[in-house]
Amino acid sequence: MNRIFISHMTHHASHIMLLGLMVLVLWHPAAFAQGNDDKQATFFMGRVRYSANDGNDCSGVGQDLMKLVSRASTLKIQEERKVKLTDPDLYETPFLFMNGHNDFVFTEAELENLRIYFSHGGFFFASGCCTNPNFPKAWRREFNRLFTNEKVKRIPYDHLIYRSFYNIDRVRCLNEPRDIQLEGLFYQGNLVAVMCEDGLCCAFSANGTCNEGKGISPDDGQKLTLNIAVYALTH
Amino acid sequence: MISVIIFEFPQGWLVAIPLAGALVLSLWSQARRKLQKSQILSLVLLRGLSFLLLAFLAAQPVWVAKEPPSSGAQSVALLVDRSESMALEGPEASRFKKAVEFLRERLLPAFKSANLPVQAMLFDKNVEPTDGAKLASTEPKGERTNLGGAIAQAIGSSPQPPLAVIALTDGAANESADNTRALTALSEAGVPFIGVGFGSDQGVSTISLRAVDAPPAVPTKTAFGISAQLEMMIADDLPAIELALFRDGQMVQKKSVTPGKGSRLWLESFQVTEEKQGEHNYTVQLFPPALPNLKCVNALVNTTVRIADDKELRVLYVQGALTWDYKFISMALRNDPTIKLTGLTRTSKQAIFRQNVETAGELLNGFPNSLEELASFRVVVLSNLRPADLAPAQQDVLARFCSELGGGVLMIGGPGTFDSSWQGSRLEQLLPVVFSPGTGVQGLDRPFHLQLTDEALQHPVFQVSDNRPARDVWAQLPTFTQYGRVDAAKPGAQVWAVHQTDDGPTGRRILMASQHYGAGLSAVLTIQNFWRWRLAKDSEPQQFDRFWRQLFRFLSEVGRQEVAIHLPDQELHPEMDVQVTLEKQPNPKNVTDPNRKFFVRVQDSQKNLLHEESVELEPLHPVDFKFHATKPDVYTVSVSDSLKVPIASRAVEICNVNLEFQDTARNMETLRQWASVSDGLAVKVEDCRDAADLARAIIAKVQTQRQIRQHRRPFGINVLTFAMVVGCLGGEWILRKRLGLV
Repeated sequence: MNRIFISHMTHHASHIMLLGLMVLVLWHPAAFAQGNDDKQATFFMGRVRYSANDGNDCSGVGQDLMKLVSRASTLKIQEERKVKLTDPDLYETPFLFMNGHNDFVFTEAELENLRIYFSHGGFFFASGCCTNPNFPKAWRREFNRLFTNEKVKRIPYDHLIYRSFYNIDRVRCLNEPRDIQLEGLFYQGNLVAVMCEDGLCCAFSANGTCNEGKGISPDDGQKLTLNIAVYALTH
Repeated sequence: MISVIIFEFPQGWLVAIPLAGALVLSLWSQARRKLQKSQILSLVLLRGLSFLLLAFLAAQPVWVAKEPPSSGAQSVALLVDRSESMALEGPEASRFKKAVEFLRERLLPAFKSANLPVQAMLFDKNVEPTDGAKLASTEPKGERTNLGGAIAQAIGSSPQPPLAVIALTDGAANESADNTRALTALSEAGVPFIGVGFGSDQGVSTISLRAVDAPPAVPTKTAFGISAQLEMMIADDLPAIELALFRDGQMVQKKSVTPGKGSRLWLESFQVTEEKQGEHNYTVQLFPPALPNLKCVNALVNTTVRIADDKELRVLYVQGALTWDYKFISMALRNDPTIKLTGLTRTSKQAIFRQNVETAGELLNGFPNSLEELASFRVVVLSNLRPADLAPAQQDVLARFCSELGGGVLMIGGPGTFDSSWQGSRLEQLLPVVFSPGTGVQGLDRPFHLQLTDEALQHPVFQVSDNRPARDVWAQLPTFTQYGRVDAAKPGAQVWAVHQTDDGPTGRRILMASQHYGAGLSAVLTIQNFWRWRLAKDSEPQQFDRFWRQLFRFLSEVGRQEVAIHLPDQELHPEMDVQVTLEKQPNPKNVTDPNRKFFVRVQDSQKNLLHEESVELEPLHPVDFKFHATKPDVYTVSVSDSLKVPIASRAVEICNVNLEFQDTARNMETLRQWASVSDGLAVKVEDCRDAADLARAIIAKVQTQRQIRQHRRPFGINVLTFAMVVGCLGGEWILRKRLGLV
């Protein structure tokens, strides 16, 4: 009798557990997130994996960037993809985002792929995390290796990127008496890569809590980031 | 039902006399043989019965059933003529208006008081039921008058035939194919025809402007023709008539035309040259002489012409949301100073984003709501759009931009764009494909290759490499991953590219297609991520760039053809030589354009080749040729360059003069003939001073018919009668054999 009772309970318990799992799955917020086969989603981003970095620094940054873009425009978003600069997927990803804290070096293969990528129309956005100077310094050095006649330089405030969505006259640094300007690499007269060293990604992600009081304010950060995304989509 | 048998040949009974004689002779013969009385009686009865039956049949008996007045509600069928001849104006109103007024104010009340229901129908070459609202809104424009067909339809359309058929018409019937059927129906059903004639007994001459033709776009300081088509019907020798050309409401030219006499269709043109750029509305107006029997059916026709030198080609790129396509197409056009891309993007529900506008106010309110706002563009691209992004009025403007101004329209998108939500829209009418009724792609697509059709491989738009054949270049494009499914290409559309493997209802799924729409061209590209071609590692971006430059040029220049095809002033009718003039347009972008040799072809609507020749053309030196139009048809004159690539075409319609106006006199004779075969009535409307009298006469006819309605059918010649005759004769023979008489 006991054996039969236990068998019944076991049988029903498995049904209850299954039901519970189904409820959990259905009610999970992620269940209402945009599926990656949303037909109308046209903006997607590649998160660059480089050197020893697996593209996961400040891991929510990528998602936050895409949510920012979709909140401010009718763009729907797809999930970010982790992309290495030697992956074939690189050439299916028109927008790349790279961030980090530390120094890095590109291999020759990565550089060659980037040259082709830029000449074919790709766009690159990079941001140093938490105003750490090592990443921006490495980025300038490596991107200066790409094209002989083109070097990374500051983008003046009269450039279209500061007016592509919001009109941004200037960006002030929170903890120092200076303006913050984007830096970029041009190829055949077109801006193909943009970098901000002052913790831009920290400003639009996590509401600047990991870089509080330093670099770019959250409000400026969100505007600048959206401008970069719209510029990438229109130029 | 009361039934009787009548004899149609009563003299047939005389056959009974010799038969009776034969019977008596037989009786006498049998009496001599000393047969018993019962035997003789049996023999005589059998033979007599068969003789009686034969005499009965010889008299041609007919079974007649007399039908008493029906208790069911039978109605009166009322036919109202809506052919074009009924549009002719009389002293007070058109014939049609008078007929409707007569029906509404006089006839219907009379029928109502007599408790006679009415079933009304409108007819021209077809027939359809009508009611009061439809009658009020109908315009008499029918191309033919088929009175016989209308009568047959009125009688046959319901299980019980109507009590009468009443036609309000001018009697000018020009279709007779159904007359026999109508006559049979009238006589079998025993339905009287009552015709009420409208119009005047004297024929009316008519003159009319039928259409106007002009090129949709012309450079400045270049002469072009605005050609009006005139039609005249059964006119006496008319004096000169005046034709005037108005430009944006101001008269700019006037000419005097001698129409002659009889019935004819011919062209009269004005030569115009404009000094400045702009868009103008040209109207041709006819001023007919004030003659009592001359009616002018249509005195105004108009068209729009865009005057522009087009140093740069402006493309308007409209997006429902930002897409990568816009970025890469923008890159493709960046190094071509003659193509300027203007972007208009919806960035939120309330906000739009404009790029490369010419003035601060351009496109400030979003997509243009008028043709003038679109006139400065040559091509409009619609990308990632939903129906809510483009109001019906805006879609209409877009259609006019393409059909009237010769602009190009290109729709780009994937499954989110090409789905059933556009079905039945104005935009779908404009585009070369039929949208699928499905909801779009379900699930993720697998990578696929684009395959160009043979037509596209020959087309200059798709020649993107100087060193390699187009087939090889396009075969090496990368794969794409999402596309919108459309069901089919429309008749006349050109399919440029198809899916490598996926099939639709009519073959491989269409990825690119185009069609002529009025003076312009529309096209679709159903691949969502076409930009992958440019970004792909092994691609050559300059090929992608060249394709888009060539495509935009092609879409923009269809409306402004390199070679203009004119029809000089002449009469147009079947069995004649049609004169055509070809003129090479000066090319402001390439003054020393060496292309001189061209091929001209003429085909009929069945694609039969009627004429083909090669011509040498230079700007400002027109060349004439002729082709013979044997029958009414739409002929296509097309011109190809030395590489046989089509560069210009024009449809030339040759038709008979309008039959409706060939004989416009009221034809009471026709109505009387229909009335006489059906024991009906034919009256002129002006003789019906009191419609109540007419109604009473109609009602009397109807009631007489109700009382006398009979059903007749032959009687006697059937299996039963035959069996009785054979049975009697057979029985008589058997009896005689038994009695030893045989």
